[in-house]
Amino acid sequence: MKDKQNNCDCRENLDRIAREEKTWQENLVDKRVQRFNLEKSPTSFYTPNATQNFDFLEKVGFPGQYPFTAGNTPFDFAKANEKLAAQMNFRPDWGGTRGVGKYGGFGTAADYRDYLKRMHSMGRFGGPNMAFDLVTQCGYDSDSPMGEGEVGRVGVAVDSFRDFCVIYEPYTGDLEIDKVPSNFTINAPCAIIIAMYAELARSRGIAPAVLRGTPQNDILKEFIARGTYIYPAGPSLRLFRDTLEFMRKHMPLLNVNSIGGYHIREAGATRSQDLAFSLANAAAYIREGVNAGLDPNDFLTKFTFNAFGGSMEIYKEIAFHRASRRMYARMLKEEFGVTNPKAMTIRQPITAHIGCSSTTLQRTLNNWARAMVGGVAAGMTGSLPGVFPPWDEPLGLGHSQEAVQMQLDATRILMHETGLTDVCDPWAGSYFMESLTDELEADALAEMEKIQGMGGAVAAIENGYMPKAVAKSAYEKQKRIESQEDLVVGVNCYTGEHEIDVTINREVEATYDPALMASCEERQKATLQELKRSRDGKTALSLLSTLRTHARDESKNLMPDICECVKNDCTLQEVCDVFREVFGEAQPVKL
Amino acid sequence: MYKGARVETIVSISWETLLDGVKKGNVRSLARIITLVENREPGWKDAMKSLYPLGGKAKIVGITGSPGAGKSTLTNAVARDFVARGYTVGIIAVDPSSPFSGGALLGDRLRMRDVVTLPEIFIRSMATRGALGGLCQGARDIARILDAFGKDVVIIETVGVGQDEVEVVKAADLVMVVCVPGQGDGIQALKAGIMEIADLYVVNKADREGADEVVADIGGMLDISDNGGRPQPPVIKTSALANQGITELVDALVQGFESGRNADSWQAQRVKEEILTLVETEILDYLRENWERTGDLDKAVEGILEKQTDPYSVVDSLLPLIREASRSKETT
Amino acid sequence: MNNKKIRVLIAKPGLDGHERGARIIAYGLRDAGFEVIYTGLRQSPEQIVSAALQEDVDVIGLSILSGAHLSLTKKVVDQLKSNDAEDILLVVGGVVPEQDVASLKEMGVAGVFTAGTSVSQVAQFISEQVNA
Repeated sequence: MKDKQNNCDCRENLDRIAREEKTWQENLVDKRVQRFNLEKSPTSFYTPNATQNFDFLEKVGFPGQYPFTAGNTPFDFAKANEKLAAQMNFRPDWGGTRGVGKYGGFGTAADYRDYLKRMHSMGRFGGPNMAFDLVTQCGYDSDSPMGEGEVGRVGVAVDSFRDFCVIYEPYTGDLEIDKVPSNFTINAPCAIIIAMYAELARSRGIAPAVLRGTPQNDILKEFIARGTYIYPAGPSLRLFRDTLEFMRKHMPLLNVNSIGGYHIREAGATRSQDLAFSLANAAAYIREGVNAGLDPNDFLTKFTFNAFGGSMEIYKEIAFHRASRRMYARMLKEEFGVTNPKAMTIRQPITAHIGCSSTTLQRTLNNWARAMVGGVAAGMTGSLPGVFPPWDEPLGLGHSQEAVQMQLDATRILMHETGLTDVCDPWAGSYFMESLTDELEADALAEMEKIQGMGGAVAAIENGYMPKAVAKSAYEKQKRIESQEDLVVGVNCYTGEHEIDVTINREVEATYDPALMASCEERQKATLQELKRSRDGKTALSLLSTLRTHARDESKNLMPDICECVKNDCTLQEVCDVFREVFGEAQPVKL
Repeated sequence: MYKGARVETIVSISWETLLDGVKKGNVRSLARIITLVENREPGWKDAMKSLYPLGGKAKIVGITGSPGAGKSTLTNAVARDFVARGYTVGIIAVDPSSPFSGGALLGDRLRMRDVVTLPEIFIRSMATRGALGGLCQGARDIARILDAFGKDVVIIETVGVGQDEVEVVKAADLVMVVCVPGQGDGIQALKAGIMEIADLYVVNKADREGADEVVADIGGMLDISDNGGRPQPPVIKTSALANQGITELVDALVQGFESGRNADSWQAQRVKEEILTLVETEILDYLRENWERTGDLDKAVEGILEKQTDPYSVVDSLLPLIREASRSKETT
Repeated sequence: MNNKKIRVLIAKPGLDGHERGARIIAYGLRDAGFEVIYTGLRQSPEQIVSAALQEDVDVIGLSILSGAHLSLTKKVVDQLKSNDAEDILLVVGGVVPEQDVASLKEMGVAGVFTAGTSVSQVAQFISEQVNA
């Protein structure tokens, strides 16, 4: 025992507590259990014996310092400007010139451009936060038979650099792309979109070096969840490497990626699977950068995470975020020799939340109460107490103004009325929370070791391990709900005839014009046809052929070729088809 | 309007119509006949009788190997190559039934993307169904129906675990065993029954490290094994995903069709086994049905549990039923 | 001896890659004693119907979360019709807004299952319909 520990933790004291606990268990707990005719106590209680040899500096440390268990910073931008936000009636959903606007996208490039213009005219600025349609995400052009019926549906269709430029037409002057950032939620064809972004800047006489924003660029999780992969995991990782090298060299302010633990949990992963798989993916990306000769102390400052998954189990979610920060920092330090503290934090927009999969269609308004719990957990894990998602999420009709208002207000109530976020890591030192954090960390580490034993994330994707594990966990969860082992209010309990389904008015702002949606496929195809007619076809063909040759050489960085291709009007699918030819296509996982 | 009315259709479509459909190349009739035969619906044997003379032309290839060896992907590549050479192909993809629910998850199709829509190809997923009626016989029946339908080649892809696969590939003319690098124990498992029936070894995923070692291991085992005087089976390296080695593999299969195990003695042995399997199933089905109806089986179990008798005496006392069974067969 | 099993094809038409629901249903129906043919992601209506015919399934289950359920289901129905396979029971699961449920049923979809549906409900529905 080190002398810094006071007598509360000394051996005799712990022994005394253990003896007292035993007596308490027998005299009080067991008798109550008997009285209520239970098999065991429905509650637990933690004493210092749960965290024996607890070393505060090793396990927790100070907020903003290794191992970051207590938080990435003592307080973040939002906390620093909390009062100001109230004074200026700040609405994060509208975006400011500092950040990106609301996530979205639909129709043709021109449709989305007009939508963005309309938002600007309403005072809702912020950079484009682009959702791409599934056709683009899967590397097809709008005229591909694979994309029939899906063009412009869940996001904007981008077939070419010309489309990309059209979207950015409203971004000039005060909103010039050297002033506002952009987000791109795209993975398999991400290299192409990054090339377009760089070429857009160059075409406007702006150095790509000043561009800001975040491409999702997290292809590995697509194999585990979400499913918009194209090529096998190995070559996909090579394309990631090429973007990483390119961005560090030419676009150093741009975030490299947004690694998703969120999707993995939504797909059904358990907490420890979510943590282990996300970190295993992160490790694969880092290894790729290190193997390319890049310094992780540098490039990791531009890695971000797209939040991890969430659940209603508030304690476990808090422990999850404490464990994830610690595990990531330790992994970087011990495995990759990272020393720069700025490179060791999990940078993510929000921390704890309940996850969309916790929301229910039944008695939908209850989701507001559910999301509030997530906000409380977030506030206790070092971030804005973001209440997420809006309660009408499971209706699948777009969030209503009312639901978004209630979501915003719930967050504001937690921010301003409760003092929830006035303390960093309020759970630090809790016997219960520290042991829960250790337990989760141990589970996740064991899972990571398993993956390492297979040869890392790529191998555990190719042999189907990670996707299958997630599918099985999802099914186990479903079985627990159907057997009423897990209770979900309004779904498998309290469903009697006297319960009331409370509804309120829902007005979904007419964001996307249904008439435009209906005609976008035809219009987008016409634009594409026009492009193919008017471009210099010979140059396009020869550039694609160069790209093909270089793609076969694993040591070549393909970004300069991709830049040339997009600049000369090669389409997104044409570039992807070259890679399909050279890399092959990913195999679906057999259940 | 679209209307789900499955049951009426089953009842209303007769065996004759379906058999006629199969002869005319109707895919739905083919699929339905397979279902009815697989289910052992009344009349199935008569249907098989009338299909039997139509077949006998197709070459049946059995593909087996450990899970994860890439059998489905290989089947996909091989089938594609066969089609390119002008063959039509039927594929039977076997997956295990759940011993608890009797249901099954059949997912091999999803690895056969290149061929699922080719008109020359017919893919049928088959669950082991607790090997009721003999798994080998089930696969053999389907293969025979595909043969009668006019498929030139029928590929049977097995589950890849245990005794089942040895059973299934007995229905094949040529058996191809798939190995991959990095599965040392997989090769060990081969020793248990598979070596005797393999006509061809494939080392798939040969772009991976250790492929040559696997080839050497197989060669080593073949050197010391007794394969009844047959020529040494070839060992071929492939990478099904990259479509490498597939031409060589299909060349070897085609050659095998010509030179394969066509010895009369082997064919006779196979026919004999089939007859015995069919008879065994029939008798067992008959007995079980009878015993369950009369309650004799339950009574016997009870007797044994209460230590009043023993299983051997029970068998002897139940045997008269078999004679009855054979009599009733003669009369029908 | 009759050995009949209900055979179900589970497919994801279109490009939507969210497989959670489809996989849960596939596992769940297997455990309910069905033979489930799982064809996975990015299936064209032609592929789905061709698989359904070859596998001689009693039921086709489509899982769609991208919002493209009306057009994709319509295409599958058209394929079934042109293949004279209208007897195959068609069910749809996923994110389907209330008002679209009626449109799907009008097309001939026998059952629409949205969030919160239990696998046992789906299994029961299929058993009843197929054995009716």
